[in-house]
Amino acid sequence: MAALQRRIGPARFAWVFLVPNLVIFGAFTYLPIALNLVYATTGGLAVLPGERSFVGLENFASLLDCKNYLDPSSCSKDLFWRALFNTARFVALQVGFMILFALITALVLDRKIRGRGFFRGVFFYPVLLSPVVVALVWRWILQREGVLNAWLVAMGGEPVLWLMDAGWSFFWVVFVSIWAHMGFYTLILLAGLQAIPKDVYEAAEMDAASPWRVLTRITLPLLMPTMLVVIVLALIKGVQTFDEIYVLTGGGPGSATMLIVQYIYETGFAAQPRLYGLAAAASLLLAGLLMILTLLQLRLNRKSYRG
Amino acid sequence: MATLELDRVVKRYGSLEVIHGVDLEVPSGAFCVFVGPSGCGKSTLLRMIAGLETVSEGEIRIDGVRVNEVPAARRGLAMVFQSYALYPHMTVRQNLAFGLENLRTPKAEIARRVAEAARMLRIEELLERKPRQLSGGQRQRVAIGRAVVREPEIFLFDEPLSNLDAELRVQMRIELKALHGRLGNTMIYVTHDQVEAMTMADLIVVLSKGRIEQAGPPLELYHRPANLFVAGFLGSPKMNFLPVRPAEGGVRLEDGTLLPLPGTALGFAPLTLGIRPERLLLEGAGPGSIEGTVRLAERLGAETYLHLDTGAGALTVRTGGEAAARPGERVPVRLPGEACHLFGPDGRVIRCAPRG
Repeated sequence: MAALQRRIGPARFAWVFLVPNLVIFGAFTYLPIALNLVYATTGGLAVLPGERSFVGLENFASLLDCKNYLDPSSCSKDLFWRALFNTARFVALQVGFMILFALITALVLDRKIRGRGFFRGVFFYPVLLSPVVVALVWRWILQREGVLNAWLVAMGGEPVLWLMDAGWSFFWVVFVSIWAHMGFYTLILLAGLQAIPKDVYEAAEMDAASPWRVLTRITLPLLMPTMLVVIVLALIKGVQTFDEIYVLTGGGPGSATMLIVQYIYETGFAAQPRLYGLAAAASLLLAGLLMILTLLQLRLNRKSYRG
Repeated sequence: MATLELDRVVKRYGSLEVIHGVDLEVPSGAFCVFVGPSGCGKSTLLRMIAGLETVSEGEIRIDGVRVNEVPAARRGLAMVFQSYALYPHMTVRQNLAFGLENLRTPKAEIARRVAEAARMLRIEELLERKPRQLSGGQRQRVAIGRAVVREPEIFLFDEPLSNLDAELRVQMRIELKALHGRLGNTMIYVTHDQVEAMTMADLIVVLSKGRIEQAGPPLELYHRPANLFVAGFLGSPKMNFLPVRPAEGGVRLEDGTLLPLPGTALGFAPLTLGIRPERLLLEGAGPGSIEGTVRLAERLGAETYLHLDTGAGALTVRTGGEAAARPGERVPVRLPGEACHLFGPDGRVIRCAPRG
């Protein structure tokens, strides 16, 4: 090695270490990105890029072709818009409630309660599970012959088709997703809470602040930088949701719980004919959305460090 | 203004007792300083008075009323924290007003008190700034302002100057003392700095290992320390301590010199002689004269501290700024009998030097 370094010089020697990583990163990240651009601007059903005809922005135009953007059925690719609307609704509900519950949980676990370590473990545990395992466990609970219905019948009630009803299945999709990810955000918020100096609370105690005033005027404002990071992280992860829901409901009933990633997957790989161009265009639109959210997170992060 | 009484106050954490039955009476309007090395329990005691720590045993009374169970905010106290503990997301004005808003004080009254405190502490032009935009001294003023607006009966200060640089510390010391003169409130002040204690206190309480070693006016403690700990803790440079044995008509130093101390019955046990650096004389004639070698001369301009090695032990002498002695030189030093304290084997004082 030393001999090689002497022969080719330290600057070139650096490449010896960088090349393996560059090759792997190039093959599995940059090349697919480039290919995705190629597919997004070509049409036809051929798999090999060389056999596909250039169509410019036709795939994007077709995805964005709507008479009324608020009504998916007026769009030529109505499923794309339904998936988009589902994603928006899912993300709004999932992120909103998850952060609310995570905050409440973190506030409770921040106190000196009995068995605090145990409860912290309990709330974090689902984060360690594979998303497919999470979905399978809950499908087992929610299916027609599942645990929940068995319990309902035992209590003298009627079984409910939890995953066959559009409203219920959307509820459960949000619920399961919150259950699976809440622990992670609870942990971050807990760290944020514990970073608030104890003497500020003592000063508030001397200042006769009621518990409610302490929460709203001291704790929450001081937690805000952490909160913003958590919100953006959860938004990004929420938009990317796929595996849990795909295994739990398969996007059904109908397209009631189909989110944007699942639409891309099905359009490109599962449905016949395989519309690679359309899927690639949709994934680029999604990438644009995620990019905006990531930039937002970076900015907030920098701001909170400065603060 | 209010009196403060501690009656056999004990603090335990589980089975560990850190305050062992403290008795103290602070008269109304006094500036009382708790001083002691770190870990002596002075901050714990202050936090118990504040209501931030529970009292394990005994009673704390403010104006004669037991307050053990009274929540911190209702004891009529205000506290200035060592770290200032300002609310970082609020402006200075909001920091000052927060406590009054919690008490539902009328808006006009809040505005009046904030303006008055800001004027008194000269932070008027800082009112719209956030704490992170302030210097250490300005933050300190805001922290004091937050206590002042509450118009408390008793002010509590927990090492408020320890985060400031030396120059600012001297300045704030003077301002705090002036504030006490103007408001006239009872103030309890915790510090580990004996200079702060000596310069600011009406009443010094020296604490060690969870017990009061001695309480009294600064000069009383300086001149009549009750034990070795207080004698060694107050004063800079420290009091000199030499091991001595009782002898006929006085005590014998380790080098054999007889130091006459008339009229003292001393028994037989080994004793400790204490003498302050400013009471030692650099002269050879007279009783109690010995010789020493200068190990180090610390020249401060107005005065010089000579560190001597003698046959009786190490001595520090405070002398004039132009002292000629150089390291390695032999110099005579005399211990005047009337300047000597004597402490028994248990550390308690047997004989105090008369003032002079």
